[in-house]
Amino acid sequence: MFDELQNTLMQIIGSIAWGQWLAAGFLLLLGVVLGTLLARSAGKLTEKRISLHHQVMIRRLVFYLIFIIFAMAALREVGFSLQVVLGAAGILTVAIGFASQTSASNIISGLFLVMEKPFEIGDLIEVNTTIGEVVAIDLLSVKLRTRDNLYVRIPNETLIKTEVTNRSRFPIRRVDLVIGIAYAEDVERVKELLLSLAEQNTVCLEEPKPFVLVTGFGASSVDLQFSFWVVKEEFLEGRGAMMIEIKKALDRAGIEIPFPHTSVYAGSHSAPFRIQLVEPEQQSDKDLPNADKNA
Amino acid sequence: MIEQSESQRDGVWAHPYQLACGQTQCHQLGQIRLWVSLEKREWQVRHELLAPDADPPAWQESLAQSPPSTDASLQRFIRPDNDQGVVLYRPAMAALPTVIRPYQPLTIPAGGHCVLYVGTSLWIQVCSGSQQLLALTELPLATPSKTWLGANTMQGEICYASATYGRLALDAVPIRPWRAVTPVTINNRREKPLLLERFSLPTPLLSLHRNERGQLWTPGVVVECETDMSSASLRIEPSVTEAAGSCELIAPAREKLAKGRSLVRAFDHIFG
Repeated sequence: MFDELQNTLMQIIGSIAWGQWLAAGFLLLLGVVLGTLLARSAGKLTEKRISLHHQVMIRRLVFYLIFIIFAMAALREVGFSLQVVLGAAGILTVAIGFASQTSASNIISGLFLVMEKPFEIGDLIEVNTTIGEVVAIDLLSVKLRTRDNLYVRIPNETLIKTEVTNRSRFPIRRVDLVIGIAYAEDVERVKELLLSLAEQNTVCLEEPKPFVLVTGFGASSVDLQFSFWVVKEEFLEGRGAMMIEIKKALDRAGIEIPFPHTSVYAGSHSAPFRIQLVEPEQQSDKDLPNADKNA
Repeated sequence: MIEQSESQRDGVWAHPYQLACGQTQCHQLGQIRLWVSLEKREWQVRHELLAPDADPPAWQESLAQSPPSTDASLQRFIRPDNDQGVVLYRPAMAALPTVIRPYQPLTIPAGGHCVLYVGTSLWIQVCSGSQQLLALTELPLATPSKTWLGANTMQGEICYASATYGRLALDAVPIRPWRAVTPVTINNRREKPLLLERFSLPTPLLSLHRNERGQLWTPGVVVECETDMSSASLRIEPSVTEAAGSCELIAPAREKLAKGRSLVRAFDHIFG
């Protein structure tokens, strides 16, 4: 019984054309190696002329093209007819399509993303609440590196469906700062002060011109919007440096930035609140705000 | 040619200065103070910024035996074996186009032309070596301020904003060792007057020349405005204007204009 099984197995193994399968395997391997090499050379050739985004696209295209040619040659080598394979692929597509709807949808979304090109590799984008630099645009997903150095994978389908903000599409960006000043302050004077800060700051662009708007009368302050333009690479630096300068300048000029406070008014018809000053009772040192001074 | 510097005197562009090991050369030029020290195996370059509105008329150079004790920012460079302690300062034009404005917007009548003299701030390149120059570092002589020149905020280019105005009279241009003068001729070939508020000077394409009085000049720039402002063409003259006197080339342009590439395309936004 065991001998018969062994004989059958030997016959099957003997009937397989090992040479053909080996040749096919070799062809596939050669396809991968050649594809990688040629893709790399194509990338290097175009390195200086085109953007990183297009370079990656060209490299990927060259690789897949060469790999598919070699894969077809490998199939032919082992005796598959290309027509049969393609026919089978048609049936398979339906089967696989049902089984892998998400992946297929991501692949198609990926193709649309490549065609529409809302962002490129290296751009800073915002998707939902995630902000990051695009490090790869792949078949199924886009990979982002966030500012705190996290690697985020976003499916292509999500990118097609949701709002995507590209923060580095245009070379310049506007910084909007909201500043609240006390009601007692002269708004015109604050406006002049802010505009002179923008003029002195080298990160701040001269054109488009910076401007100051009064946006509202808040609960505790008159709210101003101070807007100025910076080169996109200097956005964070420009905003941070300007906020420090604003605080310093307002302090120097004695202009108050109020914190939220409430005035309690009893109204004209009601009697004023009765306030009585009482001597503090004996307190322990811990309760005093500046225990050292009082000691 | 190589000579030992003595006490304080005027600095000179593209002049080889010989330093001894341990010596420091101090320069006050434009809006920076610069110290270059020669050590046994390295060059040390320190600089500090002066007030942004400083406008010193001369370049002061002096020798010191020790580097400054201030908190000037320091850069260190490994010294090549064959530099013989020679240091040379080369001027360079801005790497970005520079936006120039006349003192007040200027109207050029139809068919008319005007020449504006423009002074643009330079960058200093610290180079070492006597035979083969090695550029160590480059510093702006006036804190550059940037601006945007374009039809809207989507299309355009980032430029430097000139701190000085374009002048109609050459005498009105303040001549400084840290600024170069460029004569800009604007020809209005249109049938309508041209209001000139600002224009972009292609500073990266301009070479620097020194005349007999030590002033720096660049070749002239000619702007031809034919139909509308966006189709204005720009041409750089092959030599320096006669008003500068006889000149020698001391620094080539940063960028060479590629053959067959027209300046209209390169500087799409001549007028803002």
